[in-house]
Parts: sequence; structure tokens; C-alpha cells
Amino acid sequence: MNTIDATEHYETGGSERPPSLLTIIIDTNPHAWALLNASLPLSTAIANILVFLNAHLACNYANEVAVVASHTHKATWLYPVAHHPSPSSSSSHNRDPDGDTPMPPSTNSTSHPPINKYRPFREVEEQVTSTLHSLMSPDSTTPASLTSTTSTMMAGALTLALSHINRRTLSWDEAQGDPALTSTTNPPTSTSTSSTSTTQRPQSGLNSRILILSTTSSTSAANQYIPIMNAIFACQRLCIPIDVCKLSGDAVFLQQASDATKGIYMALDEPRGLLQSLMMAFLPDQRSRRHLVLPTRVDVDFRAACFCHRRVVDVGWVCSVCLSIFCEPLDVAGGQACLTCGSRLEGGELAVKPAVVARKRIKKKKARLNGPSVGGTPMSSTPTPGP
Amino acid sequence: MAAAPSSRPFEYLERLPGTVFFKLYQQPSTALAIFRRMLPDLAKCFVMALLYLKDPLPAADLEVWVKSESLKERDHALSILGRLNILSNTVTSNNVRAYMVTNPFAASLRQALTGAEQTQSFGVLSHAPGDAAVSIADLDEYARRQWEGLLGFMVGTSGLGIREVSLSMGVKQLLQAGSLVEIKGTRVDITQDGFAFVLQDVSTQVWHILVLYVESATAMNMDSVEVLSFIFLLSSLELGKSYEKKHLTSTQLHTLTDLADFGIVYQESPDSTRFYPTRLATTLTSDSNALNNPISGSLSGPTGDPSNKAGTGFIIIETNYRLYAYTSSPLQISLIALFTTLKYRFPNLITGKITRQSVRRAVEMGITADQIISYLSTHAHSQMRKHNASRSTSNQAGVPGAILPPTVVDQIRLWQLERDRVKATAGFLFKDFASLAEYEAPCRYAEEIGVLVWKSDRKRMFFVTRHEQVAAFLRSRK
Repeated sequence: MNTIDATEHYETGGSERPPSLLTIIIDTNPHAWALLNASLPLSTAIANILVFLNAHLACNYANEVAVVASHTHKATWLYPVAHHPSPSSSSSHNRDPDGDTPMPPSTNSTSHPPINKYRPFREVEEQVTSTLHSLMSPDSTTPASLTSTTSTMMAGALTLALSHINRRTLSWDEAQGDPALTSTTNPPTSTSTSSTSTTQRPQSGLNSRILILSTTSSTSAANQYIPIMNAIFACQRLCIPIDVCKLSGDAVFLQQASDATKGIYMALDEPRGLLQSLMMAFLPDQRSRRHLVLPTRVDVDFRAACFCHRRVVDVGWVCSVCLSIFCEPLDVAGGQACLTCGSRLEGGELAVKPAVVARKRIKKKKARLNGPSVGGTPMSSTPTPGP
Repeated sequence: MAAAPSSRPFEYLERLPGTVFFKLYQQPSTALAIFRRMLPDLAKCFVMALLYLKDPLPAADLEVWVKSESLKERDHALSILGRLNILSNTVTSNNVRAYMVTNPFAASLRQALTGAEQTQSFGVLSHAPGDAAVSIADLDEYARRQWEGLLGFMVGTSGLGIREVSLSMGVKQLLQAGSLVEIKGTRVDITQDGFAFVLQDVSTQVWHILVLYVESATAMNMDSVEVLSFIFLLSSLELGKSYEKKHLTSTQLHTLTDLADFGIVYQESPDSTRFYPTRLATTLTSDSNALNNPISGSLSGPTGDPSNKAGTGFIIIETNYRLYAYTSSPLQISLIALFTTLKYRFPNLITGKITRQSVRRAVEMGITADQIISYLSTHAHSQMRKHNASRSTSNQAGVPGAILPPTVVDQIRLWQLERDRVKATAGFLFKDFASLAEYEAPCRYAEEIGVLVWKSDRKRMFFVTRHEQVAAFLRSRK
């Protein structure tokens, strides 16, 4: 009789494997790749990434990929792009003159590719290489734009990825008429519920995740602190893990990103092993990850950037109303108003250097010590016959 | 996750000897198709992790990688990989037990991922100018017509005015050989297996037929391995493109002609120089879920009704067991009539009720409750999916929406159980023990090794499913 429980039916419904969407954000900052050139040239890295993309596509018939380039002054799509708009045909003209980064597959993307390959794989490959070529061409990456900044548009890339994921999720749900439609529109509100639903949500709907290949140290990108953190919180709400594969530099905010979204953070000591680490650590999707021991980081750098000067700070002032972070007291103009929300903050204590108050901690400890004794008092107060 | 491989092709592959695997895995398309279709998620992770490793991965490392509470999934994945000859046990240089991906498979999968120079494993696109290309809609229509013709032939709706599709002799023989139908003269009687077959979803049906075809290939003087790898090749082609035939071997050409009868591939005539895979072929290695939408929607929906192409299903069931099916296809009506008491028929709608009698009748014919339920849920109307989905998420967030009303599902199962009161277990009875002590020891031993089904201390008898170990135990005591 146990077999006729309706739960069995639910299980069979869940065993259908929903596809997963992998969005890769490649940091294409030329400054960082120039430093890496000795151990891992960009062309090799891209070739590795393409194999990784194919491996992801191979795992399920309906799996999808998307590739975003986070460049110095803009974030742009590498795949998918709209079907051959007229500017791309003109940019293919530029392919020949820039011979500085030879990409093996692009030489074959003539009219008759001799390489016999599964077609979805080839489409991704050709589009990624050609768009990357046009991105790196002198037209869009001018020397002037390179000298002006050394950071990367991570926030923009994350936002692009998120909007793409959102669009794909909606259209997938529509095609399926599936429950996930309703569950995405009212995502879990508190983090505690989100942690429980990460185990359940992948059962239905499109599984999405983001992988960031980071090369630029993001302390220099502190001016993007707010948009990056907003993107991270959006991912956290939507249960989209952000995986970070760090090739060089130090990625302060990205550590927080993978920590907050329960993604994987890996710093590669040896960038030449890129493909193997991608295959081993980053290929499993959310459902497989439930069974695997994941490489995560224990000592997450939780430093924040201040809202006033974009400095990365350990300890700072926080507005009690809107929780904006500031690196120095706000009484400069004598106004003592928060720069973000404009609330007038009381008291001269703002001028005092912030310090970790030891007193509070002791109090807490005391409270905890009191706990059991409070629980014990009623027991002892009950009149029991003494020995 | 354990439910991953669709059982039939997997069971067939599992029976093959190791040398056949060696030949099969020479083709990158085969390696890719088997990797995608047959393996559970965790097994895919293992294969991919090991694929680009130079040295075998020590077993201990693999065990550390998997969480301790997922041991069952790990062993399941490893056993499937072993049975498909994908993963092999070796030892590393310092004699540690280790795993590695076997070679023809690893090389082929790597080739599939990175591309290879010499093979035509993923088909050669036809660039012949020729006449106008066949559109995807035409291909779908062709596949649908052929496949529905096949099902109609089995269920016996051909007399009901459905468009007659010429089924070749080979197809009919194949169906008979697979004991899906019995052909007596001009009469076609569907068997119990046949009932089970027609109620399955399209992808399972296609695989069922293909496995039958591969099994019968040797009888037709064809190399079954070549046929099988050709089928995997077809599965990796792209819909709406035409492919060259001149690279194919004679066996493959023969297979192609036969598969055209099923609607799996399309060619203008048997002599034309190119062929088109239909959706039945290109979705062979997809999951049933992904396949549901386009093809079975167009396959099962009413013929020639374009408005239904978008939706996947057409059946609505209420909690009071009433069933409404928006269809005018004689095939679907006769399928529904197998387990429903039909009441009214309108031009585009039939209504009926699922009753105890109708389900019992179906069960007597050899249809199981699970088949009925899976048929109903694959063809459920999109309105039902939406409605029940929103309801179930509001109730409890975790459970993925049940499409059918649970009460109906349970009741259909209960009605089946009414007929299954006796369960037969094949096994061996041990009796006539001289003393209680003599009886107790082997009985306890049988219980420990998990073969004991029933025992009676008073009669000094016990019943086991396997006797070898118990017999050996008894001998060792003498």
C-alpha cells in the first residue's frame, strides 16, 4: 500500500531534468591579460573556455550558454549575438589586419569549414571568436580607451548576464507552462528561506548560473562597488550561484559574490591548468553540486568600499538610516547629513574614531551564560524532597 | 537522478559485449550521444573531470569528492559507467586503485568537444543547389504522418477513415517480431506489449522501435554496431538541414531507407543524393522533457489543427474523474477509450469519465496504472499545467507541481491494486529439516544475505529467492 502514495508521483515529475543555462563572464581587460601572457595567453584561455562551453552543452540536449565580455570601458555580448547584423560583416573585414592574437578556430571559419563538428558547438565557437576579434580590433579597443582606465566593467557584465538569465527563464517557463514562473516572480524574501529553496528550486525551471573568469584586481574597480553588490544581491535572491575562477589579481568583491550566492571560488595558482579546473570544479550544475564537495573559500574578504570616495575600508562609518558606508565622518560641511539619504544624524559621536567596542561582546557572553541558569531556575525552585 | 537513463536503449547497450563497445566508441557522435543520453548527472561530472587528466584519478580522491550522504548516487553513477565500459579500474604508478576513462571513448569524446579533422561523424552538410530545401514544418508533418500511421496501424484505426499511410512490409514485420502486434492474415491484433508501447511518450517509442530494429539488423545481414552508430550519428544532426549521402556505406544507406519508413529521416526518393533528419531523429538524445513540446504536441494534437501546435497537450481531467480531450484524431480517441468510458463526442472534443470498470478493463488488457498516468500527464492540457502549478506552489513551495489531480492518480493506482492481490515470487523452498537447530542456522543465514522471503518456524520451512549461497552454506556445515 505504500506504493500508492502520491509522493511517488511528484518524484517522477521531478526526475525530468531541466536544462541549465551557463553564463560566462570573461574579463577581457587587455592590461591584465598582458601580464598573464607568459603563463596563459588569451588565445589559449579562450580555446580552453570553448572546450568547457562544449562540455556544458554536451551534458544536456537543451543546455544553453551565454558569454559576456567585461572589457575596459564596456561590457558586451560575445554569444549569443543577433544574427549577423550589417556592422559585424564590416568588422569581419578587420579580422585580417589585426594579426596580433591568432585564434585557431577563426582561421577555419571560412565558407567551408573542414573540421567536422557537432553543429551547436561550432556555432558557439565561431560566434565567440568572431565577436571577440571585433572587440579586440583597433576600432573598438582604441589605445586612448586603454590608457584611460585599467579596470573592467564587471558590474555591467553582471547586469547583462542577469537580464539575459531573466529573459531565458521567463521564456523557458512560458514554453513549459511550468510552476517556476510563479516562483521566480515572488522570490524568497529572507536569506534563511533562500537557503532552503536553493535545494528545491532547481527541480523545476531553468537552472542558471554565472561563472566569472576574473583577471583584474577589483580593488581598482571600487567605484563599481554599489552596482556589483546590487547584482550580487539580485543573484542571491534568484538563487543563481556566481562561480569565480580567479586567474590573477585579487577579487575582493567577487569573493563576497561567490560567498553570498553559495557559488564556487577558486584562485588558480597555475593558470595553465585552466581547462582541468574548469572541467572539474565548474562544470557540475546545481543538481550535481548537491552530491559533491565543492571548493570554497573559508577566509572571505568582507571589506566594503565607501560610498563617498570609493575606498576599500575595513572599518568605517555607517548611516543608521540607509546603511551607506563612509570612510570618514560627515561633518565636513557642518551639516552632518548622510550623503545618500540626507538624514540628519544626531550627536557629535560621529567625529569619534570608530572602534570595535569590547564591552558589548562581554554583555552578549553574559547573556548567554545567563541562559542556561535561567532555564535551570524553575527546576530548582520546584519543591523537591531533598536527600 | 537515478531515473536518468531511459531504460530500454540502456538495457540493450548493457547486454553488448566489450568488443562491441570498442567499435561503437570509435565514432565521436556515438560517444557524445551515449554520454548525453545514458549517463546520470553525477556520472557526467566524473567523466568530464577525468577526461583531460593525464593520469588515472585515485579512487580515494574520487570518494573524497563526493559528499558522504550521496554514496548511493556515487555508486550508481560508477556502476553505470562501468557497465557501459566508459570507466575502468586501473592502478597508478604507486599501486593505488584508480579510475580512468577508457580509451576509445575518451578519445572520441575529446574529438567531439574539440573537433576532428578526418571523421564524418557528425554528417556532411549537403551544399547541392538542387531544388528548394524542405522546410522544418514539412519535415514535422512528414514525421507526424508516418509515426501516427504506425501507431494507427497498431491500434487498428486505419479503418476509421484516417489517412492511409503506406507502411512497408519491413515495418510490419518489425512490429510483429517485437511482439507488439500479431498479424493474422489481414487482421492486426495489438498485444499487451503493444498497448504499453502506444501509451508511452514519443521518444520512448522511437527508442523502442530503434532497438528492435538494431536487434533485427543481424537477421538482415547488417552489422548491428554499424546500424547503432549510424542512429547515434542521426541524433547529432541538425533539423532542417540536408546531408550528403555519398559518404555513407551500403549498410547505412539501407538503414536510411528503412528509417524513412518510420519518419525518422526524410528523403525525396530512395535514389536522391541527400536526406533530411526529422525531429524524431534530432531529439533522440534529448530528455523527454525537452522533447515534449514541439514534436509530441504536433504528433498528438488533432491533425491539421494549427492552433494546437503551440500547446503540448489536450486532455483535461477534473477531480471528479471527468475527462475532456480536445482532439479529433481517431488514434488519440481510441487510445483514450482504452481506459475511459466515453460519453459524448463533439467535432473537436470528446468527454468521458474514468471509472473503476474502465480502469479494470484496461488493466485486464495488460495496461498498467503507471502507463495510464504517464499518458495523461504527458498529454495534459497546458491550462491544467498552469492551474495545478500555481496551486501547488502556493501550498508547499518545494514540491514540483503535480499536473494531474492527486486524487485521480491515487485512485487509478488503487483500482489497479485491486487486481494485484497475489504477488508471485519465483524461488526455492527449503523444508524437511530434521531438527529445529538444523533449520534455524540456514534460515538465519538466508535472512542475513537478504534472500529470505518467507519462513515458518512451526513447519520448519523457509522460502528464498536464490538458493546457491544457502546450499553452499548447508554443504559447508556437513
